[in-house]
Amino acid sequence: MNLLDIRNLTIELKTTNQNILAVDRVSLSMKEGEVRGLVGESGSGKSLIAQAIIGVLDDKWHVHADRFHWRGVDLLRLSFEERKALLSKDIAMIFQEPMACLDPTTTIGEQLSEAISSKQLSGFFWQKQKQRTSAIIKLLHKVGIKKHTECIKSYPHQLTEALCQRVMIAIALARRPILLIADEPTAAMESVNQGQIFRLLSSLNQLKNMSILLISHDLENITHWANTITVMYSGQFVEAGTTEQISKKPLHPYTKALVDSSPKSNLQLPPKSRLTTLPGSIPILQHLPIGCRLGPRCPRAQQACVKAPNVTSFHGHKVSCHFPMKEIR
Amino acid sequence: MAREKIYLEEVFPSPFMQHWLIFRKTPVAMIGFACFIFLTILAVFTPVLAPYSPIDGNINMLLLPPAWHDDGNVSFLLGTDELGRDMLSRLMYGSSLTFGLSFVIVIVSLVIGVVIGSLSALTTGIKSSFLNHFLDVILSIPSLLLAIIIVAIIGPSVSNTVGAIILVLIPQFVHVTRYAVKEEFRKDYVLASKLDGASSFRILYYSIFPNIVDRIMSQATLAQSAAILDIATLGFLGLGAQIPLPEWGAILANGLDLFYIAPWTVYLPGLSILFAVVSTNLVGEGIRHALKLRKES
Amino acid sequence: MTTLLEVKELYKSYKTKGYWYHKKTIDVLKPLSFCIEAYKTLAIIGETGSGKSTLAKLLVGAEMPSGGRIFLNGQTLKNSNFKQKCQHIRIIFQDSSTTLNPSLTILQLLDEPLKLNTELSEKERIELIRITLQKVGLLGDHMNFYPHMFSGGQKQRISLARAIILKPQVIILDEALASLDPSLRAQMINLLLDLQEQMGLAYILISHNLGIVRHFSDELLVLSQGSVVERGKTNDVINNPKHKVTRKLIMTQGLRLHKK
Repeated sequence: MNLLDIRNLTIELKTTNQNILAVDRVSLSMKEGEVRGLVGESGSGKSLIAQAIIGVLDDKWHVHADRFHWRGVDLLRLSFEERKALLSKDIAMIFQEPMACLDPTTTIGEQLSEAISSKQLSGFFWQKQKQRTSAIIKLLHKVGIKKHTECIKSYPHQLTEALCQRVMIAIALARRPILLIADEPTAAMESVNQGQIFRLLSSLNQLKNMSILLISHDLENITHWANTITVMYSGQFVEAGTTEQISKKPLHPYTKALVDSSPKSNLQLPPKSRLTTLPGSIPILQHLPIGCRLGPRCPRAQQACVKAPNVTSFHGHKVSCHFPMKEIR
Repeated sequence: MAREKIYLEEVFPSPFMQHWLIFRKTPVAMIGFACFIFLTILAVFTPVLAPYSPIDGNINMLLLPPAWHDDGNVSFLLGTDELGRDMLSRLMYGSSLTFGLSFVIVIVSLVIGVVIGSLSALTTGIKSSFLNHFLDVILSIPSLLLAIIIVAIIGPSVSNTVGAIILVLIPQFVHVTRYAVKEEFRKDYVLASKLDGASSFRILYYSIFPNIVDRIMSQATLAQSAAILDIATLGFLGLGAQIPLPEWGAILANGLDLFYIAPWTVYLPGLSILFAVVSTNLVGEGIRHALKLRKES
Repeated sequence: MTTLLEVKELYKSYKTKGYWYHKKTIDVLKPLSFCIEAYKTLAIIGETGSGKSTLAKLLVGAEMPSGGRIFLNGQTLKNSNFKQKCQHIRIIFQDSSTTLNPSLTILQLLDEPLKLNTELSEKERIELIRITLQKVGLLGDHMNFYPHMFSGGQKQRISLARAIILKPQVIILDEALASLDPSLRAQMINLLLDLQEQMGLAYILISHNLGIVRHFSDELLVLSQGSVVERGKTNDVINNPKHKVTRKLIMTQGLRLHKK
């Protein structure tokens, strides 16, 4: 059974003059133990989808979908409290700037002890305190922080970004979630630390069979760490498939442009030559093109692209394009 | 290359316009603003609009109650006081004194305060420390008390009151300006300006002021409501506007003796003071609300 | 090509406010020298805290060096003389949203360096601003907009326009491409390469991303804790790193950078 089954999710923003479809009929599914990458540039709506899954979008966003199931339960039919009860046990999320997500006025130890639910502890009052402390130390060790006494006593601003992100992951792990949503966890870090965080997430996935939804704008980075990838552009679904399929045989022109803009593919180019890019820039919310939103920039666009394309599937490799680039072999 | 102007129907407002648009959407602030404008027009055009003179009294019409009472007379809409002077005209002339003068006071102290504050923010070391602490000491004394002391020393009159209140309000502006300018100096675009070769004064004028104007404006409305109350209080105590000037506080003081026989001579000026202060405060709240909303969006 | 910019023994150190007799000096940047020619790009890499940003600020004049000299075309650049410096060396920062004044239109933003440093009339200034905006890929009409109306990529282009409007000879890119999306980054790189060919600029690129560095730069300088640990032509350094810091940097990105 799929952990997360989303079909044709649409998130609308109702403004005074018009309805803006910030996310337009995107489908996403995740199995247990899978690491899925959700790739899109800014304005693609990937953070909105994560927030819609958790349920923290405020009233100005309207969410509807054909199917929005979590382990078989239809999330759209639940009330806010039921949904909160269901999801807070199973899904955890980590965010982009970890230092800003931690409370600057309390120590790390206090924040971690808040995250540990009292149901996991047993015994009397004083025993619970001891158990709490040992649970905190265990969590910190799980994310690779060995100097736990120092860490517990310090405040967020005294730690580096990478350490704060590990603390965030520790807080997320406290509830033993089944799915971890990582919304651009390493955007604020340099490459050394990025590698550490991704390795940590990967080991958590393998050891505890925890599924991870990795949201990022860097396709190249994700191809190293994810099993399957979904690509989005400007709120629309572009392509989805295994990492192998997407990086070796991209079917959609946008995916191909993303793959081309990564440094690995540029190794073949002579230095200081021009990189291949799509002309133009990402459309803003107020002026979204009709039909396929890549239309104005796509080198293969034709008359039919004024209508939104349907999703076609080739051996599990889904693509949403009128003119996908089929391999001849 | 594409056409120059693409989106003709869209208007992109400047930050000031954005503040104004948010302000317009808050009904309470707009009501306050309307009252504020009303008082300003009254203050400016009173000599033209007022039905009677505020000083000459009509001996036959002493202590007439307002028009809605049985004994009242429609030609004296709000009644008369003990010397037969029309309350309505007195209040209207009073608005130019209490309200109009407060406006002038705020503008003068704003200009002086902003200049001193910017200078103090630009300098560092002992000079700025001295200015800052000295003015903070003055800030700690309640403005009314300080104004009373100054007027008590140099003598009671309207111009002395104005001078005293200006002196008392300057430290507030210095403080706000200094803090705001110091904060702006840390921003990156000021560094970029400096790297372009701009002098400090130029940076202050072109890069920093447009960003701190809103904070100064909100402080100005706070200062104005304080100024209105101070003028009225000083008039009430007899230290401000002298008889027969129709300043609201003075009218109130006059009417106190006659409170039981002619209560309107007390509550009418009181209500006017309340009206002026509330409308100023509503406008100030509206500005601060617009500031907060714009920062969040 | 003749040397455009030459830096001799530039260093920066701070005295900490410790206890009375325990004042320590921290060497943020130890004495270093290098030179750049026109049409060439020098990349400076290193981990955080190695002194890259300090070097950028020293070169452009945002901070005073504790010693050393900077020569441009053979002439010494005085440290505090911004007017002289800004006509030759310009900088683009990483975070474009904080480096553009939110209350000024683009016209006023770009007008300022012109008013301070050139003698052009108002019409000539507006024309020059229009041409510069078109060069970086924006419309001339954009000059009447405010910064908050632009996207991140466009804001970086405006910063670039502000940098090139005085026709400098050296532009320092302090992590200017790090916060952009990959496709925007590629467009920006193409733009920078075009401008380098057209205007004969020399770039100093400070970056973490070895992929960009490999593609974009001719020479490479590796900094670690304030001193230069390795330098040379980019291809040589990346294919044969000698120092362990360089090796570590390449290894962590080595998963994405297959050595040829």
